[in-house]
Amino acid sequence: MFLNLGTRVGGWGLGALFLLQATHLNAQGVVRGNVRDRQGDAIAGASVVVRGTTLSTRTDRAGRFRLPTVPAGSVRIQVGAIGYARVDTTVSLTGGDSTTVELTLSFAPLALPPVDIISNKVPHFGDRPATSVAQVTEQDLDRRAVATVDEAIEHTPGIQFVNGQINIRGSTGYVQGLNSRVLMTVDGVPMNQGDRGGINWDLLAVDDIQSVEILKGAGSSLYGSAAFGGVVNLTTRDIPTGSHTQARLTGGLYGEPPHTVWQFRDEQALHGSADVSASHGNDVLGGRISGGFRHSDGYREQDERDHGHVAGKGWWQPAVNMRVDVSGSWAVDRYDVPLSWCNRGECDDRGQVYQPYMIDTAEAGARTDSRKGYLAAQVRRTVSPKFAWVARGSWLRTHFTDVRRSASEFSVGDRFGAEVRVESHPDSSRTAVVGAEGTMSDVTSDIFGVHSQSEFAAYGQSDQRVGPLGVSGGARLDFMAVDGGSLTAFISPRIGVTIPTDRRARDGGVLRASVGRGFRAPTMAERFVRTVALGFQIVPNPTLRPEQAWSFELGHISPPLFGFMRIDAAAFWTDARDLIEPQVLLIPPDTVVIQLQNVVRARLAGIDASIIAAPIPQRLIATLGYTYLSTSRRLSGDSTSGPLAFRPRHLLTLGADYTLGALGVGADFRYASRPESVELEGFVDSRRVAMNVLDLRGSWRRGPVEIRFLAANVLNYVYNLVPETLAPVRTATLTAVWSH
Amino acid sequence: MRWLCVCLAPVALLAACDGGLQPEPICASTLVGVCGTLRFRGPIPDSTDNVFIAAYATFPQTCTDLINNRRPVIPGSVPYTDSLAAYSVPLDPGTYEWLVAVWKKVGALTLSPADTALLRVAGYYRNPADTTQPGAITVPAGAAAGGVDFTADFDNLRPATDFVSCS
Repeated sequence: MFLNLGTRVGGWGLGALFLLQATHLNAQGVVRGNVRDRQGDAIAGASVVVRGTTLSTRTDRAGRFRLPTVPAGSVRIQVGAIGYARVDTTVSLTGGDSTTVELTLSFAPLALPPVDIISNKVPHFGDRPATSVAQVTEQDLDRRAVATVDEAIEHTPGIQFVNGQINIRGSTGYVQGLNSRVLMTVDGVPMNQGDRGGINWDLLAVDDIQSVEILKGAGSSLYGSAAFGGVVNLTTRDIPTGSHTQARLTGGLYGEPPHTVWQFRDEQALHGSADVSASHGNDVLGGRISGGFRHSDGYREQDERDHGHVAGKGWWQPAVNMRVDVSGSWAVDRYDVPLSWCNRGECDDRGQVYQPYMIDTAEAGARTDSRKGYLAAQVRRTVSPKFAWVARGSWLRTHFTDVRRSASEFSVGDRFGAEVRVESHPDSSRTAVVGAEGTMSDVTSDIFGVHSQSEFAAYGQSDQRVGPLGVSGGARLDFMAVDGGSLTAFISPRIGVTIPTDRRARDGGVLRASVGRGFRAPTMAERFVRTVALGFQIVPNPTLRPEQAWSFELGHISPPLFGFMRIDAAAFWTDARDLIEPQVLLIPPDTVVIQLQNVVRARLAGIDASIIAAPIPQRLIATLGYTYLSTSRRLSGDSTSGPLAFRPRHLLTLGADYTLGALGVGADFRYASRPESVELEGFVDSRRVAMNVLDLRGSWRRGPVEIRFLAANVLNYVYNLVPETLAPVRTATLTAVWSH
Repeated sequence: MRWLCVCLAPVALLAACDGGLQPEPICASTLVGVCGTLRFRGPIPDSTDNVFIAAYATFPQTCTDLINNRRPVIPGSVPYTDSLAAYSVPLDPGTYEWLVAVWKKVGALTLSPADTALLRVAGYYRNPADTTQPGAITVPAGAAAGGVDFTADFDNLRPATDFVSCS
């Protein structure tokens, strides 16, 4: 019965479901359990699902889980955790009763991530997605001893940060603060700025994050506008049962310039932070609050930063089949802005053409005051094991003031969002998701004006098993209006197929193929910006159209090879039109201005490959990631073409971690070839080099205390990713974490 | 894979040892262009925003030539607070008839002839044989013309119209 009702959502069908629910509950029971490894240690964060239903949960820090509305009878439960082999078990459950299961997982470093949420908004257990998905696990975050979320993500194959802007397979390039072609979500809630469309990576402290999932390629069929080049979802930390506290202290210092002619200060530059969090949870509700402060003297002249934040999260289960989640954060920053390094004559240049650690003295005193925060609430009701709905609302606010010698500029942006989603599992081989989403953004600014933008969307996606094939398909229809004007519609379909290449093995190889259409609506900042940059007036362009692209991908993840390694490789192709880029215009008779225009048609193609190897089981894990990127950019009405700006042709990441008892050591290396082109070439310093960064780290854990050490850019390699902006130099950080 | 790890680690270290960005003296051996010293005379005017050096392959005849034909497109600044400053100007190989130090007062440039209202000629490289005339400089292929020294006189900042016609 529920199968039929669940697939016919509408009219009186939904009401009937609620009436039938009480009867149905009698045929339900509770499944409790513990998940441990072979040594008997609890496994936190393991995913537990009832196969073919909407029922799923994760284990707490003690390895415990509870599924409260499981249909009586023979119940097939699957459990998986990162780094462990998946387990299937069947338990017998009587209606109104409860049962407890003890589950033991074996260490398996090459096991595929057990759950994928990002590729279709609902947890998919065991099935491989048709599009490339990368995961940064809790262990990765701990191991890297990083201070911010972006530092943890930038080691992922195919990902590069260019002065704070994320590129997934070369998606965004770099346009200072005016857009992002990647969508960030926090627990599934979109969090790109309402005014500029960019991402605040310091919205949440790294301690508040449990894991990160990255969808590579167009994600607009489910996520809409900003998911043109991919999606990054931050999953916030679970609230475990009982009372828990954690304190984290960091301290460190910056390296000196490697050449005495670049020395710019006498005293040692330092950085440090303090973070605390406390949580309490039981079977019905839980809450977590955290706060912290960070200070950095900076690694170059005029680079001091202060950051403070508070964040909270709570959940409440008013009924066995309903859960309410609320979360929010507020962060305050005040940071100096070293707008560009000193070229000859702009400072005491000491006979040098440029001084990368020093700034143009005309920009002395430049700083930014920034405040940002969000509130989000979500209700999830599991109407039946086959059917659930989710409703959420969110508010994101950003407020910055740029203080410059010549002028001061400000912007206040709000983004209000709401979404209703229905999830259905008609049978064990099918999942369907249907939803509607609305977003209203507004901006009040002296450089962007006073404007608003509304977006409404409906989407649907179905995943189905057809014999050995996994087939997923869906589409999203978006409507947009600026300042209450006429609607612009955009449809984004996507289809994908997975084919197991080794059907006998559970974690065998899988071939995948997908094609999808992505789009990105111009941000209000892009449409209405009016300011001065590089000495030129930047003028608005309210007629900007959305960017659009078709993305194709063909990939394969191998089964374990030689018993200790696995390879994942994908070829990708994106054909983009109407890309928005700054253009220098001559307005007769004698005025030169910069305006953002839809002038570029581009192709981004390449290969993205990664290898994970565990040559010494439980001791040594090594990873290698390589991305080859070929781009071609052509202006409208111009037959000449060249590469897209800020896209390196080669990206290489190497990593290795060795664990011996309580001690761990590791290393990461990142290489990016010199970008062949930069934006506004000829108007900016073209000096740039390849990136070669080596990080070393170590950790020691005893009881509730963990000490971590990170030496980032240990070779003190001096480089820049955007013109006249020095990238971080050698930085040593010692972190102490106490958990109770 | 063990073989891969062993091989790639030294590759990573070697790649990182190239040092990245390096100090670049103004008259560097890698420079293709012109370099030398600029000597300053007179008190610095209060309205000074910048001093820069531009080169012209042929002597400009009009204000439009003055703005459009300058090289490089965005000339580099020269520190003017000391009495002497080293300078370099990256240029394509070839002969340049006029190398000029330009004083700029505070204000935004538009890259149009109207910019001449903000600009003054502070000095120019002179012909050693006849110091009343501008001196030509030849930038050799793949190298720099060095020792091109001249003076900028803050007491004698001359408008563009002293040199070119501006209609």
